[in-house]
Amino acid sequence: MKTLRILIASVLLAAATASCHHIDEWDDDAAGNFDALWSIIDRHYCFLDEKGVDWDSVYSAYRPRVDSVRGPVELFDLCSDMLAELRDGHVNLTSPFATSYYKKWWSDYPQNYDARLVEEYYLHFGGYSRGGFDYAVLPDSIAYVRYASFSVPASDTTLDWMLMLLRRCRGMVLDIRDNGGGSMTSVETIVRRFIDRRICAGYISHKSGPGRDDFSEPYAYYYDPAPAGRPVWERPVVLLVNRSTFSAANNFASIMSQLPGVTLVGDTTGGGCGMPFGSEIPCGWAVRFSASPVYDAEHRLTEFGVAPDHHVDLDPAAALTGHDTILDYALALLAAAPAD
Amino acid sequence: MRRPLALIRALALAAAISAGGGSVAAAETDSVMRPVLSQYMIEAGSAHPCDTYLTPLHYSGWQGALAYERMQAMRFDPERWVMALGGRLSLGRALNPARNAAMWSIAFNPHWTMLWRHRLPAGFTVGAGGRVEALAGALYLARNGNNPVAARGSLTIGAAALAAWNGRIGPLRLTLAYRPSMPLTGIFFAPDYDELYYEIWLGNHRGLVHGAWPGNYFRLDNLVTADLHFGATTLRLGYRCGIFSQRASGIVSREVAHSLVVGICTEWLSLRADRARTPDARIISPLYQ
Repeated sequence: MKTLRILIASVLLAAATASCHHIDEWDDDAAGNFDALWSIIDRHYCFLDEKGVDWDSVYSAYRPRVDSVRGPVELFDLCSDMLAELRDGHVNLTSPFATSYYKKWWSDYPQNYDARLVEEYYLHFGGYSRGGFDYAVLPDSIAYVRYASFSVPASDTTLDWMLMLLRRCRGMVLDIRDNGGGSMTSVETIVRRFIDRRICAGYISHKSGPGRDDFSEPYAYYYDPAPAGRPVWERPVVLLVNRSTFSAANNFASIMSQLPGVTLVGDTTGGGCGMPFGSEIPCGWAVRFSASPVYDAEHRLTEFGVAPDHHVDLDPAAALTGHDTILDYALALLAAAPAD
Repeated sequence: MRRPLALIRALALAAAISAGGGSVAAAETDSVMRPVLSQYMIEAGSAHPCDTYLTPLHYSGWQGALAYERMQAMRFDPERWVMALGGRLSLGRALNPARNAAMWSIAFNPHWTMLWRHRLPAGFTVGAGGRVEALAGALYLARNGNNPVAARGSLTIGAAALAAWNGRIGPLRLTLAYRPSMPLTGIFFAPDYDELYYEIWLGNHRGLVHGAWPGNYFRLDNLVTADLHFGATTLRLGYRCGIFSQRASGIVSREVAHSLVVGICTEWLSLRADRARTPDARIISPLYQ
């Protein structure tokens, strides 16, 4: 009987304690949705300090405007304006009629890339394309490889063939201008072809709680070379970058920049080193935001971009005559590099 | 004090018998026959999951499950001890309040239960015991790009109970049973607050396993059944209510599910041809009378 009493008491105690697992709830009205969005960013966004954003002040500035909002479009615009205070290309609010998108990380800078220019005057609409890679051999036996998006998974088979076909080239231009990112696993797949020993690729951290200073200890992550027998690249590389080199591409640039024999040419990358998380607010709109910062191998945050070794802009006048001045600069660098 | 010690001794003995197969077969006499009660159940109902790793919103939808359980009176004390071994596979789909995003859930939940039972007058039986169970499952919310999955995993020991009544309503033989169970301690999986599974995949396995107690890992499974005996076959109708609430690293994962249960139960005996049976052998069912 005593055992039974203990059992019943345990059940009641457990039920009482379990009910303490509180989850905040918000009303599905303008104020509720605004507050939900503000709270999600408040608890999960990872760069408030780095960006000098006083999120409480943002609330004070925007919250009074909720009362005058009429309809979902005005609410969306208000929420989008609030999110723009974060100055982060990884922050989006998605409704059935629009997705908010902060653009100033690239729109305030020269584009420095013209796909048609490269295709027409350097590749002559030729070369090979497979699995997200466009590649060709340019004069002076220099390989040109373009990888337009890390959203297209980089396959080992494609890399095997591509590197085998380019194996006689003396140098490589790897063009990731306008590459807006995608999968981090593709970053690893490609980097492995450019290293001959294990490297520390960087550090990853995450919010460890809702407090603004709650972060985990950065965790070092490593990349190993491609398995023996797979083709690898051991000659000079010039990596072309611009402001629209973002997110996973930004991470790729930061890892490649630490490798000997790799030179970055172009403009500072667009940043976006916070791995984005998803959530939603009561009206069903989805919100995406940076929650997990990735640092480079020197513990530096690359949210504001990776600076090139040689800053070169694309000259619009030269472009009219068929010259990509950034690519020309890269070709000149490789041509001047000693052949092995 | 004696009863908990007896419970521990019985659990240890039962585990030894389970592991050792027929090692104590010599102790068995065919004067007692212990049929196996096989229970096959299909469940369907509503589910209300919420996991703050994925979303702060409460979802609502359906859940279906297949469950199997095997019960048998124990060899060492068939009147008092009953063992149950079973598993449940569930699948569910729920929508957010705006009904524009779907969350899928899947879970597999095997268990091993030992019950000490006491028969009361008028067909009543009560029982209590221990339960070892595992849970492996996941919630999947496709709209989240880098955090679409919240995995659930646990290995727990806890309490189980039984209250049953065997009787008749008119010509129909009937067994009503209520069987709650609740984990009391163990371990469970939870990532850190905003830790991506990608980081775990990179090798950061710190802090993923948490000690469970009802304050941070609460699960209460209530199964109420009415077994209608039609000759050798029994039709089971019932209701299951599952309550789950887990909190670790600032993440709360909750689910309440209600299901109607329909099942078939059969009792069967495995006979050994090389052993004689006494004509007055007693048949001791794990649940029925």
